[in-house]
Amino acid sequence: MRIRLASLLGLTGAMMAAGVWSCNSSSEEKVDFNAEVRPIINGKCISCHGGVKQSGEFSLLFEEDAMEVNKSGKHGIIPGKAEESEMIKRITHADPEQRMPPEGPALSNEEVETLKRWINQGAKWEDHWSFVPPDPAELELQDSQSPDANPIDHFIIAKLNEVGLEPSPLASPEVLARRLSIDLVGLPPSKEMIRDLQADNSLKNYEKWVDRLLDSPSYGENWASMWLDLARYADSKGYEADRHREMWKYRDWVIKAFNQNMPFDQFTIEQLAGDLLPNPTKDQLIATGFHRNTMTNDEGGTDDEEFRVAAVLDRVNTTWEVWQGITMACVQCHSHPYDPIRHDEYYEFYAFLNNSQDKDSYPVESPVLPVYTEIDLQKKENIQRWIDSVQASGGIAQKASLLKAKEEELKELKSYSLPIMQELAEEEKRQTFVFDRGNWTTHGEEVYPGVPGSLPPLPEGSPYNRLGMAQWLVSGENPLTARVTVNRLWAKLFGKGIVLTQEDFGSQGNAPTHPELLDWMAVHWVQDMKWDIKKLLKLMVMSQTYRQSSTISEEAQEKDPANYYLSRGPRVRLSAEQIRDQSLAVSGLLSPKMLGPSVMPHQPEGIWQVVYNGAQWKTSEGEDQHRRAVYTYIRRTSPYPSMITFDGPSREFCINRRINTNTPLQALATLNDPVYIEAAQAMADSLLKVSNKPEEQITKGFEMSIFRSPTADELEILLSLYQESKGHFSNSKEGLQNLDLTEMNPEKNALTVVANAIMNQDAFITKN
Amino acid sequence: MNLLEEINYRNAELNTRRHFLKKCVAGMGSLALGGLMGSALTGCDSDKEIAETLMRDASNPMKALPPHYIAKAKRVIYLHMAGAPSQLELFDYKPELQKLHGLDCPPSLLEGKRFAFIQGTPQMLGPQFNFNQYGDSGSWVSDRLPHFTECVDDVAFLKAVHTDEFNHAPAQLLMHTGGARLGKPSMGSWVTYGLGSENQDLPGFVVLVSGGTTPSAGKSVWGSGFLPSVYQGVQCRTQGDPVLYLSDPKGMSRELRQKSISAINKLNQQQYEEVGDPEIMTRISQYEMAFKMQMSVPDTMDINDEPQYIHDMYGTEPGKSSFANNCLLARRLAEKGVRFIQLYHWGWDAHGAGKNEALNHGFKDRCKEVDQPMSALLKDLKQRGLLEDTLVIWGGEFGRTPMRENRGGKEMTFVGRDHHLEAFTMWMAGGGIKPGITFGETDEIGYYGIKDRVHVHDIQATILNQLGLNHERLTYNFQGRDFRLTDVHGNVIEKILA
Repeated sequence: MRIRLASLLGLTGAMMAAGVWSCNSSSEEKVDFNAEVRPIINGKCISCHGGVKQSGEFSLLFEEDAMEVNKSGKHGIIPGKAEESEMIKRITHADPEQRMPPEGPALSNEEVETLKRWINQGAKWEDHWSFVPPDPAELELQDSQSPDANPIDHFIIAKLNEVGLEPSPLASPEVLARRLSIDLVGLPPSKEMIRDLQADNSLKNYEKWVDRLLDSPSYGENWASMWLDLARYADSKGYEADRHREMWKYRDWVIKAFNQNMPFDQFTIEQLAGDLLPNPTKDQLIATGFHRNTMTNDEGGTDDEEFRVAAVLDRVNTTWEVWQGITMACVQCHSHPYDPIRHDEYYEFYAFLNNSQDKDSYPVESPVLPVYTEIDLQKKENIQRWIDSVQASGGIAQKASLLKAKEEELKELKSYSLPIMQELAEEEKRQTFVFDRGNWTTHGEEVYPGVPGSLPPLPEGSPYNRLGMAQWLVSGENPLTARVTVNRLWAKLFGKGIVLTQEDFGSQGNAPTHPELLDWMAVHWVQDMKWDIKKLLKLMVMSQTYRQSSTISEEAQEKDPANYYLSRGPRVRLSAEQIRDQSLAVSGLLSPKMLGPSVMPHQPEGIWQVVYNGAQWKTSEGEDQHRRAVYTYIRRTSPYPSMITFDGPSREFCINRRINTNTPLQALATLNDPVYIEAAQAMADSLLKVSNKPEEQITKGFEMSIFRSPTADELEILLSLYQESKGHFSNSKEGLQNLDLTEMNPEKNALTVVANAIMNQDAFITKN
Repeated sequence: MNLLEEINYRNAELNTRRHFLKKCVAGMGSLALGGLMGSALTGCDSDKEIAETLMRDASNPMKALPPHYIAKAKRVIYLHMAGAPSQLELFDYKPELQKLHGLDCPPSLLEGKRFAFIQGTPQMLGPQFNFNQYGDSGSWVSDRLPHFTECVDDVAFLKAVHTDEFNHAPAQLLMHTGGARLGKPSMGSWVTYGLGSENQDLPGFVVLVSGGTTPSAGKSVWGSGFLPSVYQGVQCRTQGDPVLYLSDPKGMSRELRQKSISAINKLNQQQYEEVGDPEIMTRISQYEMAFKMQMSVPDTMDINDEPQYIHDMYGTEPGKSSFANNCLLARRLAEKGVRFIQLYHWGWDAHGAGKNEALNHGFKDRCKEVDQPMSALLKDLKQRGLLEDTLVIWGGEFGRTPMRENRGGKEMTFVGRDHHLEAFTMWMAGGGIKPGITFGETDEIGYYGIKDRVHVHDIQATILNQLGLNHERLTYNFQGRDFRLTDVHGNVIEKILA
């Protein structure tokens, strides 16, 4: 069903309707295996004739198996001869005992006809779409007609025309400014940005702000969160004792890599195999912390090998999930039930990851790299430089006491031990075996490092180790890496991926809504943009599609309630991190401090009750209470409550997509968590300074939060809440108490209640 | 699309928020629900599944849903003894083991076995307490549980339960999530996902913890794993805020909070009229629910209003954090229609490595802490007619060895037993379980189950079965695979069903 884009774009919208796309089922029409046959097989046959069950020794997962003679000695499929193929005989059998599928309804006449035609046309097999590399020749773009439209819009509009929908008008400058700022840096826009875009809402001026936001250091803090979910980054080891682990330097590496706009291929190779690069830098070693985020159980009496194996299995599954969007956990026990990956191929891939030195028992944790905070690192380098220069100038004798003092100072700098990856020496290398039914104590045949046969081989010259594995993922030949990554970035902006199941690009995942767009972006990103993430994000946010209003028209609600076709802009609840950061930002409490060890903002008493471990939550002091959420300490068995409440994962395992929920516990958190009361109080303070008229104060607070003035009705609602609150506090002997402070001023308390309401409205916790 | 439309229409008809739902599920219905349902919808290929999916109400994920078939139990109270109590000191009476007491363990019991701490050749350890038979059923109970002896005719003992894991965290995960590694939804999450809850003012899945600490596997044992987080267990605490952030800041009255929530909802209503996003309507209903919870949770959690005879029966002391208080709370929550009530009581890990974890010390204290309250819970449920449709389960995550632990190969000061996965005792009561029976049998020293062994997955299948859920049908599609609580295992233990 691939269509030539060049010809398609030449047509006007109205002409692009159904005809081009719809399937004509005349008997001469060539059957499209992926579009027509595979859905029938996957829906009706594969659960018994797939990778797990191969009933009657007949499997429809691989072409060579499907064409084989089966248990009954017959060919299930004889290309060109539908009537003689056992498969057709069985699905059309008159005897219900013989007829396939044995349970559920028979195949429809239409389905049977499709299968017959497909076999008669030669039973041509095709790989699942995501395993077929995109063909750039088929994705060539013609000159665009509208100067403001970018290539993305051509694909989107073509599809909208097809289903009879129109794009929405562009969002207002205020709405767009907030959307863009939250998407790119995770924080609300500055006043300056709002004013500037209101004054000049040209695309050129918008582009200036896109560039500014992409250059802001907050950009890395925002996008790191997405990656840290995938990396299952946390500050503890998991399981029973769930002891502290010093991983924050890896988190800082991710933030800096995003800010430096490290190309994604390099970003990949350094994290998976930085230690195997020639003369790796310290930063490249820090990057390998990625796969040291695996959990470990150091409970008394644990078999260390069992949990080492569990960690390697997790590394295999995580690598596949992050870069390939393919779920590998199934293949640990048996061949993939739906996707073309065999059981032994899983362990061939496992062999890439089975030769690292890491030991995660207690108290031994190795190998580790001594690392410092940014400030201490500066100090260390300065002192070291001084010592070196003194030693070089031969003045050691005169400066002996000073030298000693400097050396002492050096020793006092606190170093942290970051777990990193290191490969075993050649003579210590482990053998890798298939685990029968996934059980690590039952060894099958020995296997050697390799990649599944359904995907391209290792690039020429790549070593058969972790480095080669990483190079394979980003070789450009791999059909999945770019699609999966482009889709993930797209989903962060648009609220859902082009492939909705971000975590599953296999045959059980959803088909892409806009396959040509996904492929075009993937090819363009790798070939023209050279894996540049900021350029790709810029392309997306510059599109008209992104800049549309998110208001839902009656028609769109009827035809596309879920915004599947993107006839309007995204409207999505903010992430756990963004909700906290936004409240701190609009109220002026947010600390700009970046990087460093994780912090412990206020948390209710008694959350941490830990078995066999004296670990305690010690509330951070000063501005560390109001750092961005990406710096909050994450203990896996007891994550920070309001993060979990807003669907932040516990970071126990790789999470490709957070499922947004909408729960009463979320309401309770933003209403009553002391940090949100603090934010409301801080906002009240600033409103008291702006004016002494409640109308003006409330209007200002509303504008500070969602960057538009309240309507008359909205103002009325809040004003009435203000009056009632003020009445209450004026007549009450009790003030409003939060943490250790009691506020008695009725005006401030009333404004606090109003600010709290403003910061709980849907428009505030949602990206519009 | 026809079937979808029809079901959408019926669903909308069923619902009070008709206009909203009609908007929400029309057309691409399954996608509109996507935010809440996650990938549950992707694998729909039969009419039945579509029907089941669309019974769900996006604005109220806790709406009570019909079971797969007629349920014997409407709710569950699960008493988990975290740390794993010794079956040999409580229910599984082994006089033969007494005769072997102090003798070296024969090598046949040690070959090919992995233990947490036992090394070299340990000695056999006879039962540490006296046993007697009680009730019409003649069930064996040790003298550590005097109150419980009065309840034996109401429970079914499972004497030959076995598991796959011999460390606490993985074994607890296996027991409560069906998998030994982190990341699977807990039983309570599955049940509320499958059945919703009958009380919309309280969480459908409540967790109560005593013994001073959370279980070894942490909060994951009541996590929602890959299910939407709305189905995770809500820990209610007897000290501090009963639910996190439930209390308004001091100085804010109920009336004022009501006014503030009402203002928020009015703003949201305006917003909805402006942009038409159905998610806003869901948010409005969740703020209403939050307000109701602020009222009903503290009421339910406050046991001061219970009559004295009840306090005497359970041994409760209001304001304390104790297993007794949690048992009484469990009954109160059951009365209010909470679907899944999970209790954890820590401190059963009687290795003998220290006084508090010795069979002759800490273990006795634990018995004392649970005996009266758990017996009172059974009696109280019974007298209120609640035991009939409340399934009560009691047990640890594994059992203990018939050998005495010899950590480091040495005799230890205190007496204890190591972790044991081959055989341990659990009991179930109410909710359509046959009362007064013993099912399963271990060998003469309680080492292996020799008759009617049941696996952890069988327990889970049975619990779901009593709730009217087929454990093979309660699935959720995640990462391309339909997952279920019992993984690919589990058989309903038909012989213990009434």
